Amino acid sequence: MNTVLTLAFKSLRNRRGTALLTVISIACAVLLLLGVERLRHESRESFTNTISGTDLIVGARSSPVHLLLYSVFHVGNATNNIAWDSYRAIAQRPEVAWTIPLSLGDSHRGFRVLGTSAEFFEHFRFGERRRLELQAGKTLDGPFDTVLGAEVAAQLGYRLGDRIVVAHGSGEVSFSLHEDHPFTVTGILARTGTPVDRTVHVTLAGMDAMHEDTATGPAADPLGTAMMERGGERQAAREHSHAHADEPADDEEHAQEEHAAITAFLVGLKSRPAVLSMQRYVNEYPHEALTAILPGATLPELWEIVGAAEKALFGVSVLVVVVGLTGMLIALLTSLSERRREMAVLRSVGARPAQVFALILGEATVLTLAGIALGVALLYGGLLLGQPWLEARMGLFIPIGWPSGRELTLAALVALAGIIIGLVPGYRLYRHSLADGMTIRI
Amino acid sequence: MYLGRSLTYLSACPLLTDATRPVALAPAVVDVHSMRFAWRGTTQALLEIEALRVAPGERMFLRGPSGSGKSTLLSLLAGVLTASAGEILLLGHNLAALSGAQRDRIRADHVGFIFQMFNLIPYLSVMENVMLPCGFSQRRRLRAHQRGGTVEAEARRLLGALDMADAGLLARPVTQLSVGQQQRVAAARALIGAPELVIADEPTSSLDADRRNAFVELLFRECREAGSALVFVSHDPGLAPLFDRTVELTTLNLAAEAQPPTR
Repeated sequence: MNTVLTLAFKSLRNRRGTALLTVISIACAVLLLLGVERLRHESRESFTNTISGTDLIVGARSSPVHLLLYSVFHVGNATNNIAWDSYRAIAQRPEVAWTIPLSLGDSHRGFRVLGTSAEFFEHFRFGERRRLELQAGKTLDGPFDTVLGAEVAAQLGYRLGDRIVVAHGSGEVSFSLHEDHPFTVTGILARTGTPVDRTVHVTLAGMDAMHEDTATGPAADPLGTAMMERGGERQAAREHSHAHADEPADDEEHAQEEHAAITAFLVGLKSRPAVLSMQRYVNEYPHEALTAILPGATLPELWEIVGAAEKALFGVSVLVVVVGLTGMLIALLTSLSERRREMAVLRSVGARPAQVFALILGEATVLTLAGIALGVALLYGGLLLGQPWLEARMGLFIPIGWPSGRELTLAALVALAGIIIGLVPGYRLYRHSLADGMTIRI
Repeated sequence: MYLGRSLTYLSACPLLTDATRPVALAPAVVDVHSMRFAWRGTTQALLEIEALRVAPGERMFLRGPSGSGKSTLLSLLAGVLTASAGEILLLGHNLAALSGAQRDRIRADHVGFIFQMFNLIPYLSVMENVMLPCGFSQRRRLRAHQRGGTVEAEARRLLGALDMADAGLLARPVTQLSVGQQQRVAAARALIGAPELVIADEPTSSLDADRRNAFVELLFRECREAGSALVFVSHDPGLAPLFDRTVELTTLNLAAEAQPPTR
């Protein structure tokens, strides 16, 4: 057997040009297959890790997936706001342990600005119930303080004490800047691998002040109308909240504050079993059309939506593997006729037909395994190179870890397919070497 | 099966030289009885041989025009093809009674081959080509070991005896060797591990007359050295006088007249 393996190696080395091309094509196929799988798995993992410990997410009436996407993942925009009073009313329910208000809709140089309260840094959890940690400074204190996500600070090169200006809307370039109200960087968060890294956190009070001026001040630019409308919306919400201002005041700390409408809020309950009745309460809230979702129950809905695209992508990468292995089959079959003589010589020195068969099978195996090894190497090389880009561009942090069980299974299946494909030329040569004897009549 | 085993052990005994060989006891290297061969699916026999015997150490010249079935006969003697009827004994083993794997084993252990051309594996070095049979046969590996100290030393010794020991030649890819050099490498490969039988199928047909005789002389010397019987097949009658015995295949083959010379 050793002799046969040595022969397989040397024979491949002799045809290294073709062999290398075959290995490269298999490697590319494996790279695609494993890459798609890795991205699929890691993006899911990353989504799942973005939020934990939150029982409910409440927003204006919309589809659960939509609410989940814009509130936590910062994908898309809210269609409607929540009145401050509604937020306060729900936050004061006896089942509620804590709430985190979220006010979205502004941006800073392409990064989303999140208006929130100190509760965010207190109660927000991600991954395995991890708390947010500061790498520098402190959390929000004064109304014009801002706490930056790690990626924001790193990409824009901000340090503590820097003053930044927030723009309206979420585009990279915005024409309406809230220049009157610069924010001071008071804290920078440690990296989390979630959208928090790419978010500028400000206080609700700061956000209100900034929008109040925009809404009431003169429209200096031609695009002011759109902005006015948006400002007006907020103003209307404020008026709405003022209308309820004569309700009995509460001792609760956040209830004493008075803010404009918010986009959504996260709810933590005192006891988990109350979550369904609480969800029903919010969904049937009489004064405003609201939607409450359980993050853990909504994620699967999201996967169902993206699942079809994932399957299509996976199907394509499987086909590419088939193409790669077919390339190997073609390369092996083309070499067969010129190798019949070689096989006759091997037979004459005592190689059994089974060994001739094993020689070809061995070559297919070596090619496939080399292709898989190269493909995996390319995958890790690509991940190392692509990791910063994926994080900066897609907000997707892909940790570089050992291959998962599913990836190993896929690789093993490719190896198996390669070996099975090697049976075809192996069997043909086996038949030849039985029939040809030692003299080849070509 | 047991008989086969014991015969294998018998033939594995230290090689007997011509002078001491007890002729009556040693099995003939090749012993063909009433053998008939037809290609599968045809009824007409290509070969029909009543008796053919090659004694140990004998040098036999098998002459026949091309298409007379020489190559088929050699494949039969080597056990790559099997006779349709009758028996072929190789060192006492009835090839027809053995399994394919057993025939392969006997061939690997006891028979060396030299072909007309394309003898060498192009992706192996000269040395690797010569040592190749030792990779498939433990017996030949052991015998090469006994004779040369190591398989490598024995390969080097054989190449030296065939005027191929030049370091420059050994380093060259086999595809860059001349035909004559390739044939000598093939001869060294056939002889390594001292098989009882060396079969040479037109090994000199691509050599000119001078080099042809020189090659045959070298082959004789090394066969004698290794104690191997030599069956040398050629259409060239000029070589016949050099051998112990000449057999005309057309005379030997009873099916010859009936057979149109296609193969």
